[in-house]
Amino acid sequence: MNGLRIKFLRGEEVKYISHLDLMKVFERALRRARLPVAYSQGFNPHPEMIFGLPLSVGVTSEAEYADFGLEGNVSPADFMRRLNAQLPAGLKVLEAKKKFAKDNIMASITMASYRITVSAEGHFDREFLQEKINDFIERPTIIVKKETKSKVRDVDIKPMIHQLCLGDSEEGTFTVNSLLSAGSSANLKPELLYDAFADTFGPGIKLKAIHRTGLFVSRNGVMVDPMDDRVLEGTNPKR
Amino acid sequence: MSLNDRISDDILRSVEKPARYTGNEWNVVQKDVNNIKIRFAFCFPDVYEVGMSHLGMRILYHLINEREDSWCERVFAPWVDMEEKMRENGIPLFALESHDPVGIFDFVGFSLQYEMSYTNIINMLDLAGIPIRTADRTEEHPFVCAGGPCSCNPEPLAGIIDFFILGEAEEVINEVLDIYKEWKENGAAREDFLDRISSVEGVYVPGFYDVQYNGDGTVKSVNPIKDKYPRKVRKRIVKDLDNVYYPEKVIVPFTDIVHNRLMLELFRGCIRGCRFCQAGFIYRPVREKNPEKLVECAKKLEESTGYEEISLASLSTSDYTGLGELTEQLIEEMEPRKVNLALPSLRVDSFSLNLMEKAQKVRKSGLTFAPEAGTQRLRDVINKGVTEEDLINSVSIAFAGGWSTVKLYFMLGLPTEAFEDIAGIADLGKKVVDAYMNTPKEKRGKGLKVTLSTSSFVPKPFTPFQWEAQDTIEVLVEKQKFLKDNIKSRYITYNWHEPELSFLEAVFARGDRKTGEVLIKAWEKGCKFDSWGDHFKFEKWIEAFDECGVDPAFYANRKRNHDEVFPWDHIDMGISKKFLLKENERAYKGELTSNCRVGCSGCGAAAFGSSICIKND
Ligand code: SF4
Repeated sequence: MNGLRIKFLRGEEVKYISHLDLMKVFERALRRARLPVAYSQGFNPHPEMIFGLPLSVGVTSEAEYADFGLEGNVSPADFMRRLNAQLPAGLKVLEAKKKFAKDNIMASITMASYRITVSAEGHFDREFLQEKINDFIERPTIIVKKETKSKVRDVDIKPMIHQLCLGDSEEGTFTVNSLLSAGSSANLKPELLYDAFADTFGPGIKLKAIHRTGLFVSRNGVMVDPMDDRVLEGTNPKR
Repeated sequence: MSLNDRISDDILRSVEKPARYTGNEWNVVQKDVNNIKIRFAFCFPDVYEVGMSHLGMRILYHLINEREDSWCERVFAPWVDMEEKMRENGIPLFALESHDPVGIFDFVGFSLQYEMSYTNIINMLDLAGIPIRTADRTEEHPFVCAGGPCSCNPEPLAGIIDFFILGEAEEVINEVLDIYKEWKENGAAREDFLDRISSVEGVYVPGFYDVQYNGDGTVKSVNPIKDKYPRKVRKRIVKDLDNVYYPEKVIVPFTDIVHNRLMLELFRGCIRGCRFCQAGFIYRPVREKNPEKLVECAKKLEESTGYEEISLASLSTSDYTGLGELTEQLIEEMEPRKVNLALPSLRVDSFSLNLMEKAQKVRKSGLTFAPEAGTQRLRDVINKGVTEEDLINSVSIAFAGGWSTVKLYFMLGLPTEAFEDIAGIADLGKKVVDAYMNTPKEKRGKGLKVTLSTSSFVPKPFTPFQWEAQDTIEVLVEKQKFLKDNIKSRYITYNWHEPELSFLEAVFARGDRKTGEVLIKAWEKGCKFDSWGDHFKFEKWIEAFDECGVDPAFYANRKRNHDEVFPWDHIDMGISKKFLLKENERAYKGELTSNCRVGCSGCGAAAFGSSICIKND
């Protein structure tokens, strides 16, 4: 099938809408833009559109991805321009490319990176923060309580944390950059990570913002950008 | 710290559905306040999802924003969790577009759709830091106005709202804003503005009227305090609906709302005259829009919004004379655009079923019918021109067409109702089940489900039943129980409304100025969101009545004499009291009155010069 992948950002203006509502926003923007997106059959047709990893409500991102099935001809550049003209403030397509590979974005995501901004009341110098983060990541296991529909169970999230480091710090706030497992086989939400490390700093800190900085797919065990040509071409690059 | 900063992420993250408070939706209108002379806060006294579903609000929002000198913004009642955070953090009620506090606006306009939203109005004014009582407002406060169906009896809110707009607001609002601009430039006193707009047809300033009461508590007289104010204030209507403003775009919300689709208004008013139905009288006379114009309008709206569904919004859609032509054309235009056409509240006959098949393809969603009463006698009393035969025919056609879910709506407590009439409801339910059983198996859909739903009759002003008593809560409960006991079929489900809420509705629908104090008292006791089940505090309301020395039964359960002066007698909705009285008498005789298209019954609305009344004369 004729397909496209886009990368887009989701800003402050739209961070409080749910994943489901975000899909509706795109669906209506596609209609307004009169883009030739393929629709499912049946009496309640839906556009063929698959999003990457859902963002929690309240989280912003500069690295969101979506795949679209097309039933007519439109160049990626055109698609991007026409869609952008119909997206509300806070949503912007940054890149669009043809996609030949069968794998959809949702099924192929394996990792995500986040910037977690923490407000810190009181005295938190860089050295102290660095030390706490090191202590945290060097624990043999990091057990958190994970709530599922029916019960609460203990999970070790350490294997899902691939990187954790101190970012900027200034009077009153600091940031933590993280690379976490994401997708269907293992998924760590940044909120859960924050809850786990918040205690180590003691009182006076508060979650201020979470921002997704990247989403990655793996190819032959290597992490790659979902817009990478090798990913988009799939197994049949000459097509 | 600006208000925008105070509505912090901390707060938004801690409340349910934060997108209710953030704005920025598609087609929202943003303006530069430096170029604006008039700021209008359009307030809907309910949550975002309810308010955003209201067609009138969507029209007036864009209508006011067409003016270069004005900026209309939206305000909804914050849900209790958000209100708590706002009060905790000293955040006043704010408008969605600018996030500026409503207290700095020039106008605060409320839409009055149901009586049980009145406490939310008080709560919103309080949250905005605007004095609740008109008497306490000064030059620094906005003017508080209101419109919508409930303003046909504005009296319970007379001490709270500075002025009302009666009838359709499209023209009135522009005249009022023009006068305001002039008044503001001259820097005159607050009362001077109200004085000036009191001569605009359709504007009612309650402060300019004096109410006298009789010893028994009924109204003796309502008189203007000066001769220059009209003795009777008449509603305004738009005569030519084809040339009235209709927005080419509407806001597309981010979150799901109650009616999340395009709404096409086919006509205003209703030809029917069911005797319990206020909407059937206060919006008269019926005025239709031209089908071609409607199709044009639908196309533009679809293009500007990207909505995937259009619904036809009017009181009784089946009565639209161009329905066949319109739906054909709409389907033709919308099908290639993959836009679904929703047809609500159609009278079911083979014609409309055919339409529904076409519009919705194979989807066989539930069908609804509103016989309103269980026996022919009582249906004649209320002038509901539906026979049992009609109904059984309709459901049989529907069952044969593959439908299997049917909802029937009734009212309990209608004037002259006896237990036979209630048993008739159960009976009718059973006959519907029989009709399904008599439909060949291969034709009918699977899984029959018949729902009988009863609400409690609320006598309303400007209806032939405005003189009637509402059944007491005890009687209504007994009637519900009786009906429940009479339903035997396992295919039938019975739903009923809480009679306590209908009781209060009856009080405020026909309330006078004395009941306004009860509203404020009830709000002080924590009443708000009364129509939201868990927030309804009936005991608090009863306490409020007690403390104000107002007997609610006097308003709800008392049958009025034919010569009683009503609190709303100085409001002229175009329907004469004489006509309503005649209709009341005909009701007791079980005589039907024909609809406006068959023959004019001389209701008084001919004075508006609409073609349906003139042709009939
Ligand atoms: S005047 Fe006659 S035709 Fe006109 S609305 Fe009244 S009853 Fe109907």
